[in-house]
Amino acid sequence: MTNRHSLWIPVLVGALAVAWIIPLVGLLLTSLRPPGDITQGWWRLDNFSLTLDAWKSVWTKYPLAAAFWTSFKLTALSTLGTMLLAPAAAYAFQFLRFPGRRLILIVIVNAFVLPQQVVIIPLFTLWRDTGLIDSLWSCVIPFVGMSFAWSVFLVKNFLEDFPKELIEAAKIDGCTPLGTFWYVVLPNALTPIAAVGILQFLWCWNSMLLPMLYLRSEVPLTVLLARVAGSFEPNLDQQSVAAIITMAVPLAIFITFQRYFTAGASSRTGGKE
Amino acid sequence: MAGPTPMGISRDGQEGGRKPSFFGGSEVGAAYVLLLPMLVLFGCAVVYPLVETVVLSFTDMRGMAAGKWVGLKNYGTLFADPNFRAALSTTIVWTLVVTALSVGIGWGLAIVCSLAPRATLVFRVMFFAAYGVAETVSGFIWLGIFRPDTSGLVNAVLAGIGLGDWTTAWLGNVSTALWCLMAAYAWTQVGLPLMTCFASIQTIPKTLFEAAYIDGARSASIMRYIVLPLSMPGLRVAIFINLLNALRAFDMIFVLTGGGPVRSTETIGYFMFRESMLQFKLGYGAAATVVLLVAVVVISIPAIIKRTAEAT
Repeated sequence: MTNRHSLWIPVLVGALAVAWIIPLVGLLLTSLRPPGDITQGWWRLDNFSLTLDAWKSVWTKYPLAAAFWTSFKLTALSTLGTMLLAPAAAYAFQFLRFPGRRLILIVIVNAFVLPQQVVIIPLFTLWRDTGLIDSLWSCVIPFVGMSFAWSVFLVKNFLEDFPKELIEAAKIDGCTPLGTFWYVVLPNALTPIAAVGILQFLWCWNSMLLPMLYLRSEVPLTVLLARVAGSFEPNLDQQSVAAIITMAVPLAIFITFQRYFTAGASSRTGGKE
Repeated sequence: MAGPTPMGISRDGQEGGRKPSFFGGSEVGAAYVLLLPMLVLFGCAVVYPLVETVVLSFTDMRGMAAGKWVGLKNYGTLFADPNFRAALSTTIVWTLVVTALSVGIGWGLAIVCSLAPRATLVFRVMFFAAYGVAETVSGFIWLGIFRPDTSGLVNAVLAGIGLGDWTTAWLGNVSTALWCLMAAYAWTQVGLPLMTCFASIQTIPKTLFEAAYIDGARSASIMRYIVLPLSMPGLRVAIFINLLNALRAFDMIFVLTGGGPVRSTETIGYFMFRESMLQFKLGYGAAATVVLLVAVVVISIPAIIKRTAEAT
């Protein structure tokens, strides 16, 4: 049924898609054109030349390298924490019986509704009183803690289809529940664990609110960019480089693994289409 | 260690009654070992803040000083506060318009794309890409597009097509700032409905279309009676997620307008930030957060029921 339409549809959708990413194209061109040529806008073609000046000079203008490193540390710690702890919890919920199982599970999987605004005030006073303000842990702890709402759910969904025979066999061979998790379940659950890692990585790297509130001396790229954007300085070329560096890593990951994000949104692992 | 497994914990009883207590005791121990780190972090990052926000909302805590219990006073003040009432109506407009715009466009695109699934693959990813850009970066980009002089794209286009009189300081103008903000935010949010609706349409079996053709159905009726109803699952997910995203939105408002001009673009999610973190009225800000929380939970009731059933 699709043949009749096959010409005008890609053309129409393609034109719209190109229009859709014009803001991103503009960002790239602003970073690559000499500021003098684009005072009337990056789309003006009367004086067209490209330069990497802004890409070279931005590193001394803004502490981008340090912010990149902070973003990386913050994101890596938060992602590893979730990737390690969510499968352990999902395994316990799916295959082990213990008092409180249902109640704890219901509370955790439904915490996904909470907006991050809820943690701002209590954690601000808590970190202030415990001296954790300005420590990376002030952001890593909420990032990991809040992630369980969806990460445990996602891994547990995957484990529902896990062959029970394998678990039974391990049990009969004398494997303890912890051993079964480590030797049988974990090596066979790498797909949902990777999905959890990818989703968490993007979310943590792109987050701005909590790092802005809890970190002072060491700030990630998003917070640095928010400060730069609010400064109203005329160096748009350098600011654009900062914006591109802020978005480059997560955007590359996002485009590569975009299927996980649709699946994750529908709260299913869904490796198959 | 070999205590009997408590009854009624596992409803599905997947281990059956065959060996009820042989591994039962160590199972409980193992479960808590595996769960403990998660429970500590979850308690610290979710349960404690949730309880504490509600408790603080009944106190007059300001800055460093410990607050004292004031009962419902904060809520009374809140609903009498013109700024909060404005934020409340801004939140409603913002949430509904952003969701309608992004889901409407995404859904329409999904239907069009589903007519040529292979040829539009790259274009779908292009639409979806904006969803992977940090909101801070999107905010920075749209700041440039809405710039008040003709070096901003919107004003340049208007001037270019002879509507020079319409150029304005889009983000500095009370009557336009919120609409610009909504357009910019919808731009980031269109990709998800596109992808979820498209996935739903793709699950429609080809035989259904063939049967419809054999029966002589026209394209319009196929749209109306097959594609629309069967894209509903993806549409529902998208509406729900985009509603939640819009209600919680913060980063883009912060970068683009900072809630201004004259607090005209403040949603509740931004209002609580200003009151608690900029003006240090922690108890008052907590009360606003509780209002936001109630809104989010009410919207989520169907999802909570579904998720609870799915998870247990």
